Amino acid sequence: MPESLILEMKNICKAFPGVEVFDGFRFDLREGEIHCIVGENGAGKSTLIKMFSGAHTPDEGEIYLDGELVKISNPSIAMEMGIQTIYQEHTLFPYLNVAENLFVGNEISNGIILNRREMVKRTQEILDYLHLHIDPLDIVGQLGSGEQKTVEIAKGLVQESRVIILDEPTSSFSQTEIDHLLDIINKLAASGISIIYISHHLEEVFKIADRVTVIRDGIQINTYGSKEITEQQLINDMVGRDVSLFYKRPKVSIGEVKFEVKDLSGNGVNNASFSVHAGELIGIAGMVGSGRTELAELLFGAKKADSGEIFIDEKKVAIKTPLLAISNKMCYITENRQKTGLFLQHTLDKNIPIATYSQTQMPFAMPREDVRISQKYIDALKIKTPSVFQYAMFLSGGNQQKLVLGKWFATNADIFIFDEPTRGIDVGSKEEIYRIIVELLQNKKAVIMISSDMPELIALSDKVVVMRGGHMVAELKKDQISEENILKHSIGGSI
Amino acid sequence: MRFTNPLKRISKSENVSVFLVLLFIISAIILVEFFVVRSMNIAKVAFIKPMNVSNVLLQVSVTGILALSMTFIMISGAIDLSIGQMMCFIGTMMAFLIKTARLNGGLAAIIALVVTIMFQLIMGLIISRTKLESFIVSLGFLSIYRGFTYLITNGREITTEGKFTFLGRTYIDLTDNFRIAMPVIIFVVLTIFVWFLLKYTKFGRRVYAVGGNENAAYLAGINVKNFKLLLYGINGVFIAIATMVQLSRLGTGNPLMGEGKEIEVIAAVVVGGTVLAGGKGNAWGTFIGVLLLGIISNGLNILGVNPHWQYVMRGLLIVFAVSLTYVSSLRASSINKPIKEGQ
Repeated sequence: MPESLILEMKNICKAFPGVEVFDGFRFDLREGEIHCIVGENGAGKSTLIKMFSGAHTPDEGEIYLDGELVKISNPSIAMEMGIQTIYQEHTLFPYLNVAENLFVGNEISNGIILNRREMVKRTQEILDYLHLHIDPLDIVGQLGSGEQKTVEIAKGLVQESRVIILDEPTSSFSQTEIDHLLDIINKLAASGISIIYISHHLEEVFKIADRVTVIRDGIQINTYGSKEITEQQLINDMVGRDVSLFYKRPKVSIGEVKFEVKDLSGNGVNNASFSVHAGELIGIAGMVGSGRTELAELLFGAKKADSGEIFIDEKKVAIKTPLLAISNKMCYITENRQKTGLFLQHTLDKNIPIATYSQTQMPFAMPREDVRISQKYIDALKIKTPSVFQYAMFLSGGNQQKLVLGKWFATNADIFIFDEPTRGIDVGSKEEIYRIIVELLQNKKAVIMISSDMPELIALSDKVVVMRGGHMVAELKKDQISEENILKHSIGGSI
Repeated sequence: MRFTNPLKRISKSENVSVFLVLLFIISAIILVEFFVVRSMNIAKVAFIKPMNVSNVLLQVSVTGILALSMTFIMISGAIDLSIGQMMCFIGTMMAFLIKTARLNGGLAAIIALVVTIMFQLIMGLIISRTKLESFIVSLGFLSIYRGFTYLITNGREITTEGKFTFLGRTYIDLTDNFRIAMPVIIFVVLTIFVWFLLKYTKFGRRVYAVGGNENAAYLAGINVKNFKLLLYGINGVFIAIATMVQLSRLGTGNPLMGEGKEIEVIAAVVVGGTVLAGGKGNAWGTFIGVLLLGIISNGLNILGVNPHWQYVMRGLLIVFAVSLTYVSSLRASSINKPIKEGQ
């Protein structure tokens, strides 16, 4: 069969003020093929999709569609070209029915009045074609998440897409839903539609891919036919950063067991067990969606655990609410500082003391004292701000992160849970955060750190726990911690 | 850098813009009355006569008391549309207790307080335990109270027969023509109380936290659900006080005694710098906002403006005052440019 190229990318460069940089990226997609893209968290997969879908435009380089040079400068152009992107989050209208969703923006009408009957009929045809047992009149919000995903694919068929891009379509799917989706994808490919499929699950990749491209730090490492590659090779390609660039942390002597979890379940986490000593940093690795944040929420009492026990200083404690966690000297630096960490429209002196209020019975707040405490932590953490009366929203990302830290340092906590402590902040601030974390360890604090940033995880952790699908699948000791090992456990098909 | 210069400090205060509007309106009214209406006879300028000043203060105090608790509610990110009708309900109920059930005023007041708090807590329970919007829940309660009011009164007034006058009709005469009414004292005392509560207690700081970022507040150890419930309880106390004052002033349980109060109150609170989205606002801002709206009505009356035009002008002034807050927030954001780190 003549392998005609439908999409081609050449020499793509894309820079962001932050971290991710594409440099000389190449990619091509053949007609009717399923092309999988794999890579670590933050390797640039999402940015790549966004360049196809028109959400981002490359700084340099060319994109060819059917051999013609095109510019995909916004999402509607991409749709006109027949490129349909299905993002991780659902983008359907939950209160409309399936037929209405499929024809949004493409309504069939006689000019004024909608031809509902025709739209329902066409919807039924597409659903039949995909072997979906869904009624065109079903309200989308009431469908399961697997069904919703297939409705999104059906939408691509209505628009007669030639390329369908799927970003992590199977996260939170059951096995039957996954199999069903993979069937549909195979079917589409057989009918000549080209698929770009992005997944953390190598198992799925090996099931459906015609070709696999490995991407790392915005560079295309290799493209293989799926028959000619092993899992091990893919993992080797995905890792391989220059170790000399890693942060070097001083060694800290490790003390008694500070915090211990036994068989903690709930919130999508199953039987998590681990312990952290004073002065020890335990890293929690795993792909996005593997249950890491969910675990942190359980530890801090932000979500309810179904079962399991938590011990602090070998005493059993019940942590049902964040308030109880705080009174047990825990703190939780969340993944999304703007959404769950800061009071953006408040000044720094209102942000820093707020958690300390949970530690006293005193009903009064002393503005002067709040300012003093805030100033203390602004100085200690070197937060760059003109004054303590600055609004949190006007700080830069790195300084906002330090502000969240300041809030928790003020409570004098002993157990720190970090979720992606350096997300979206520049290299200089990263190092400062690392220095602060190491200082915590030197002061005998216990640290639990979730991170998608491999170098940071490897450089800082004394021990790494790997999560996958809500389970802890591996616990790696210091000498076993390597990018390859972590990756193998977090995405590997069969271990 | 700390603010040491008091002038600088004042210029940074949140209430500066609304205060300037207040000064502007006061001077405008005085000037127009002086030059246009009274043909430059200062002695005839009614607006600044002590009697008029004490009247304005008296007229705004009931709205003011309600506005104070609305400030709490709105800073926390919620709203209560039911306050006006609740006043009708509780006020006529009290009048009924006093006239028909022959209870003495104190007992009726205690019952009113308990009932108000109870209903507010029911509403608070619904709002804090479910994800329902306070807007729509309180809209529902608005209608419930309306119904209760008519069930109690059959649409007729119930007089208190000259009883229960202390809260509304006691005055302190400072001079022959300047006196301070009890409602004014209550309003000012409660303003100071709320100012203190919001600024100097943990409770107050947490109101801002809950309104500013509910998730972060929860993770900072605040039991957000119970906290909201508490807010509605406090709201109940303020509504009960305002209702008693109103009833005492009117001397009769009128089924329309609180009609439309919610709009007046929300307008005053927003003019005073509280934002609908929550997280921002303060007691003195609300105090000035209440005063501002009262002065506008009073001034337009004195100037002899057609009452129908008064609505239009009041509306324009509300929009003007609110846009001024917006402009000053823009100014703040252009002064406070983000600081780049690293260099």
